[in-house]
Amino acid sequence: MIVLKIAFRNIFRQKRRTVFTILSMFGGFVLAALFIGMADGTYNQIINKFTRNQMGHIQIHEKTFLDRPSLYKTINNFKKIDKELQNIDEIDSLCPRLYSAGLASVKEKSTGVRIIGIDSKRENETTQFNNKIIKGRGFSDIDSHEVIIGKTLAKILKAGLNDEVVIVSQGADGSIANDLYKVIGILETGDDITDRISFYLNLKDAQELLVLEGKVHEIAITIKKLSNVYKVNNIVEEKINNPQLSVEPWQVFAKSFYLAMKADKEGMWIMLLIIVLVVAVGVLNTVLMAVLERQREYGVLKAIGTKPFQIFKQVVLEVNILAIFCMIFGIGVAFFINSFFSTHAIATFKDIAYGGMKFNSMYAEINARSFYIPAITVFLAANLVSIFPALKAAKTEPAKSMRIH
Amino acid sequence: MEYNENNLIITKDLKKTYKDNGVYVNAINGIDITINSGEFTAIVGPSGSGKTTFFNLISGLDSLTYGKVWLNSKLISDMSGKELSDFRRDNIGFVFQAYNLIPVLTVEENIEYIMLLQGVGKKERHKKVLNILREVGLEGMRNRVPTKLSGGQQQRVAIARAMVSEPSLILADEPTANLDSKTGTELLNMMRRLNETTGMTFLFSTHDKMIMEKARRVITLKDGLIEKDEIKA
Ligand SMILES: Nc1ncnc2c1ncn2[C@@H]1O[C@H](COP(=O)(O)OP(=O)(O)O)[C@@H](O)[C@H]1O
Ligand SMILES: [Mg+2]
Repeated sequence: MIVLKIAFRNIFRQKRRTVFTILSMFGGFVLAALFIGMADGTYNQIINKFTRNQMGHIQIHEKTFLDRPSLYKTINNFKKIDKELQNIDEIDSLCPRLYSAGLASVKEKSTGVRIIGIDSKRENETTQFNNKIIKGRGFSDIDSHEVIIGKTLAKILKAGLNDEVVIVSQGADGSIANDLYKVIGILETGDDITDRISFYLNLKDAQELLVLEGKVHEIAITIKKLSNVYKVNNIVEEKINNPQLSVEPWQVFAKSFYLAMKADKEGMWIMLLIIVLVVAVGVLNTVLMAVLERQREYGVLKAIGTKPFQIFKQVVLEVNILAIFCMIFGIGVAFFINSFFSTHAIATFKDIAYGGMKFNSMYAEINARSFYIPAITVFLAANLVSIFPALKAAKTEPAKSMRIH
Repeated sequence: MEYNENNLIITKDLKKTYKDNGVYVNAINGIDITINSGEFTAIVGPSGSGKTTFFNLISGLDSLTYGKVWLNSKLISDMSGKELSDFRRDNIGFVFQAYNLIPVLTVEENIEYIMLLQGVGKKERHKKVLNILREVGLEGMRNRVPTKLSGGQQQRVAIARAMVSEPSLILADEPTANLDSKTGTELLNMMRRLNETTGMTFLFSTHDKMIMEKARRVITLKDGLIEKDEIKA
């Protein structure tokens, strides 16, 4: 009690020094909170761009399709599955896709493409397909031999709107598949590879071309809350209950992307290390100075019967009272700034490319992590560096410290 | 060792050698002395004669090089650091030349500090603080902080803190060195009065003639040895 009282009042003794300590702890905390909020915000933005606007959060395939894709590894009962998943609340929307490879030619230019058959209405509901079209329009409702191609692909083929493209591929029955389509749209996803090889057809047209009537290769599902992905994945798996099919969350079907994102997050620890250093230098410097100045006082306290541990506690408590004070303030300020940047993007001067995708604005996210990780870091750093001065104070020898001549 | 229950401090061939930058300094060179309960004794001698060192040795604030010290019939020269800490808290009241008080605590808090360490209840602490403040003439000052007191008043608070838990010995190392002579004499008169009314043992050091006049026994140190030991009327 008396130890706490002395610790508390010591805070107000050397105002300038206290301010300096507070600034280093407060600054360290706020910086870390902003950094994590920003990093998490950007991270989620990237994941969203990759999942919600492209791959979906969960995908269903024939169970070996992803390892060794093949025309024949199809999902044969899409209609039934679609119905089964209709009433799962957490699901936002879903769409079927059909894949194959082919050779596309416009006049004398030709190149290999990835044929993607989509249900235009549902694809648009699920991944905002039409938003990616930068020229032309989306598919019309009736299947009428239309094609939408990636921006880079259009350049390679020297194809423009209304040009006719010949596609050659193989049908599931072994026949040569070829047909003629009219370019009605050009799209840009921000993903280099997708923009270079994508050749989107109406699902009906693709099924007819590849002789896969009623069959699809992939069902992409988006869900309402990203963090629920594993839970929803399990629900879907149980619902369709088909050992021939695999149901996987984005962390599995887009493993390399997931690992890259995770590795990127490790960068956070370097930032935290810097903050530890800022706090450590600030706190060590001031606490050490205070302890040296108060040698006589500790000498008197020890002479009249104070135990070393009580002196140790007095120093550590003083630092912690300051730390708590800084946290309360810091949480308020960091919350305010993060809130601001969660709705107001920070514009970057140049586009930031990530995994072939481009970004030009960053948003912060407000989450518990961005407060408790800095809080723990600052507390640990402050306590760690106060151990040495506190020990020094505790070990004060009364006779020596009070010697006058 | 012959021992009389009236003996408060006994030292036997007490020696202290400091090593300062490789140079040995013999601060105390073999002191045998007995101080009895209730004494009002001055240790005098010029600066560097060993007064502070002697006080530090008999109170266990510093380790001795040779010899033995008994205080209150306890052989304190053999005690561990933790034992000494408790022993000092319960048996010795300290008054130093300066910087006695904790600047962030009020007069009352400074005085009750030792009682807090001892676990004395709030009511009793408060009662004792009020009593001792009256004794040292500082009624009404209990909520002041030390920086708002004069030097003489600060030393009175230090004496109050030293006496409040009724230890067997009050050890005051040059308590008047930082005071003007009038204030110093007043402080000594007060200490003597407290010695007479409470019967507590006071051992203080000084190199001031006026101050040593007030003592009933004057022990003179020179180069770490007792030069003179005179009892006055
Ligand atoms: N910690 C120390 N290290 C080295 N020498 C010391 C130390 N403390 C005291 N001395 C020396 O011991 C002698 C006695 O000092 P002290 O007890 O302080 O005398 P006084 O209190 O009478 O002035 C002096 O010569 C002093 O320099
Ligand atoms: Mg001295």
